[in-house]
Amino acid sequence: MNLFEFCYGLIHWLVDLVNNLWYWLGDVLPWAFGGFFTAIGDFAASHGTMVTATILLEGIIVVAVALVNVLNFIWLDRKLSGRIFDFYGPYYVGYRIGGWLQNLADGMKLFTKEIITPAKADKLGFLLAPVIFVGSSVAILATIPLSPNFGIAVNDSGAGVPAGVLFAFAMFSIAPFSILIAGWSSNNKYTLLGGMRSAAQMMSYEIPLLLCVASVFLLSGSFSFVGVVNAQHDVWFAIPLFLGFIVFIVCLIAEVEITPFDIPEAEAELVEGWTTEYCGMRFGLFMMTSYLRGYAGGALATALFLGGWQGPAVIPDEIWFLIKAYCVFFVIEWMRWSVPRIRIDQILHLGWKRLMPLAVLNLLIAAAMKSMGWF
Amino acid sequence: MAEMWINMGPQHPMTHGLWNLKVKVDGETIMDAVPEVGYLHRGIEKICEDRTYTQIIPITDRLCYGSSFTWSHLYCMTVEDLMGLEVPERAEYIRVVGIEMQRIASHLMWLAAFAADLGMMAGFIYTMRDREVFIDLFQAMSGSRITYNFPRIGGVAHDLPANFERDALRACDYTEMRLREYEDIFDDSKIFRLRTEGVGLLKKEDALNLGVTGPPLRGSGVRYDIRKDTPYSVYPELDFEAKTHLGCDVFARYRVRMEEMWESCKIIRQALKKMPKGKWRVVAPRVAPEGTGVARVEDPRGEGMMYVIGNGTDKPYRLKIRSPIFVTVSAAPVMLIGYKLADVVSVMGSLDMCIGETDR
Amino acid sequence: MERAPSRIDQDPADRVLRALAEGFPKSVSNGAKVRDGFIRARVDRGDLYEACTMLRDRQGFEHTSMISAVEYDNRFEVVYHLYSYQARLLLELITTTPKDDPSVDSVALVWGGANWHEREAFDLMGIVFKNHPKLERILLPKDTMYHPLRKDFKG
Repeated sequence: MNLFEFCYGLIHWLVDLVNNLWYWLGDVLPWAFGGFFTAIGDFAASHGTMVTATILLEGIIVVAVALVNVLNFIWLDRKLSGRIFDFYGPYYVGYRIGGWLQNLADGMKLFTKEIITPAKADKLGFLLAPVIFVGSSVAILATIPLSPNFGIAVNDSGAGVPAGVLFAFAMFSIAPFSILIAGWSSNNKYTLLGGMRSAAQMMSYEIPLLLCVASVFLLSGSFSFVGVVNAQHDVWFAIPLFLGFIVFIVCLIAEVEITPFDIPEAEAELVEGWTTEYCGMRFGLFMMTSYLRGYAGGALATALFLGGWQGPAVIPDEIWFLIKAYCVFFVIEWMRWSVPRIRIDQILHLGWKRLMPLAVLNLLIAAAMKSMGWF
Repeated sequence: MAEMWINMGPQHPMTHGLWNLKVKVDGETIMDAVPEVGYLHRGIEKICEDRTYTQIIPITDRLCYGSSFTWSHLYCMTVEDLMGLEVPERAEYIRVVGIEMQRIASHLMWLAAFAADLGMMAGFIYTMRDREVFIDLFQAMSGSRITYNFPRIGGVAHDLPANFERDALRACDYTEMRLREYEDIFDDSKIFRLRTEGVGLLKKEDALNLGVTGPPLRGSGVRYDIRKDTPYSVYPELDFEAKTHLGCDVFARYRVRMEEMWESCKIIRQALKKMPKGKWRVVAPRVAPEGTGVARVEDPRGEGMMYVIGNGTDKPYRLKIRSPIFVTVSAAPVMLIGYKLADVVSVMGSLDMCIGETDR
Repeated sequence: MERAPSRIDQDPADRVLRALAEGFPKSVSNGAKVRDGFIRARVDRGDLYEACTMLRDRQGFEHTSMISAVEYDNRFEVVYHLYSYQARLLLELITTTPKDDPSVDSVALVWGGANWHEREAFDLMGIVFKNHPKLERILLPKDTMYHPLRKDFKG
């Protein structure tokens, strides 16, 4: 039973429950009042409304599950970094479950901080930039299904969004705009520099990223998650497209701004880069979104290259997906705490002069394989 | 983008200590740089004119709190030169052991800050942990972790504790093992090399003219180490080398400091073996004769020097302190102009700044 | 044809003292060797710049170790500690200025390393260095009115 059927059933039950009230009111009240309430009941019970409500509910459930995973990621990152540094990670908050509640505690702390807007900052840009950034990143989460049965679907076949992967990457690419707006509107030389560096880095790594994704599209013949994963039933795309996989992972790290590519928020030079002037939970949202994009990137890498939710039927599909996503994340985090930062002009050099030719080569390999009929 | 002046500091997570660096950038390239110091000026030279000679020793500890043994030792050497005192040999050996342990601890702290600036948090944590080994030894020797107040005019405050030799040799073995690991982590890391090679070039003529001393000078190819060329204390009897590197860049200075740590381990072993038994202190006269005293030492950061003028009382008439970083920072613009803004971190990190001694 | 090197000039300390005494016979006085590798001399402030230039160019003193300013009852003294890497020789050169006109020629153009030392001497003791490229206060705030290291400054 897939998510659509589950949510539709839930909405149907809820609507039936509430419609009792409307229909009773429609019977009891005379003249137009009664007709009014009956019309509401009919509207609520109509197929279109219920499907819309179902899609909204599905979205909430998928995003909620993904956000819990993001919290998990953050906790895992801190524990892992603690172990690499030879100390414990979060330990006391949530003592019996290994310090998992530390994230909630930090979130609560951020809520209680005073929110200061710089006097000369551009108010609209300053307030809007986090909204765009967080909103577009959460929208990515909504499109990633964890299995054929657990994702946003538009009808009860569980078909999913037809151009899911395309939409996910489109949302991924909105971020540089919001970073530029945030950096510029804070009225601060440091944030301006940080924002420009960040935007330059992200935009120059979008292209190899999307070229690798294009090679996957070529081999799978479809734009949706279900189609891409089903095309990997023989062999995961990471094996023929090994070069693409590596390039994808490197571009992902640059997009999400993780060391070695985290010069825009390099503490040593620019304090916090483009997020310097944000206080309290706004800053917390930026930080969380950074991990969120990391999770989203890991999930996308899993779906595109590592066979998504395919695996022995011992463990349910959703858990396979998550296991693979966590493995990708583990490798990224391991590298994060082991290497220094690269300078911005070296980052751009790497992106344009080294990764882009490799991505194009990867595309040619994919085209060759497709034309030989192997996929 | 137009040229603009950026103020890096004085409140900044990177700047080890409180100073200000104004850079004029055109996009990412640095056109001009003006360092500004003086935020930590405590008037130590004026204070010292109102303290007796022994009361000044804790004050000199706090000149550079990262390498405090060197400064109090330097001060004691200067006053012993003024008074014409002869220090017993055991005291000299104890001082040398302390100085070399301090050198390793100071270089490890430099490596920690350098790695943290470059983004490698793991390097920061590991080196600070390894520095604790020496801080524990200092605590056994003198009673405190960072500012020891241990050398005295005429020797050292008290003898070494029991088992110090065993612990110090163990510390040296452990440090050499860890130094091999650090060389693997840092030298073989392509990203570290990308950040440090070819950055912050300081040519030999500039280094000599601008008064730069210490690892930046030795990283530019000049084989000059005060411990070898104008030796003091018992250094003539110890066998070690002054290490140089011809690179003139940040990587060269990093290599010089790593090799200095190896040499320091060697020196500590020799000094512990050769240490004679005997007195560790002679009583110094309370009142100093009229005259002047000069002493120069090889601080972990360069050439430290003190000049004291006595006037027949128990307080100095004038105490002048020469700090190596004071001069090296004034040479910083030469190393910064023409490079990118992100290189400021590498270059200033390679100079190993300690503002306590700059501002006094 | 140059003179054959005489035995008198073998010892770098003696060579430097002779060069100073011969180059500036009226200004240099009290040239003495304090101990091995350390010599000391006094020079008038009028000839300081030429003496320093001669020391850097012909006697091989590439390095300025320290420039200190000392105040006595009736005069100021500026003490230069210069070091020669080749000869391993430390030279202490003392200049005197009268109390009401504490000014000396700047050697910041001879040795770049002397720049900040002179700024500090100006800042803390009030000695003016003529022809200094940028004589500003360095350790104290730029608008301070006094010179704290002077003996009449009681804080």
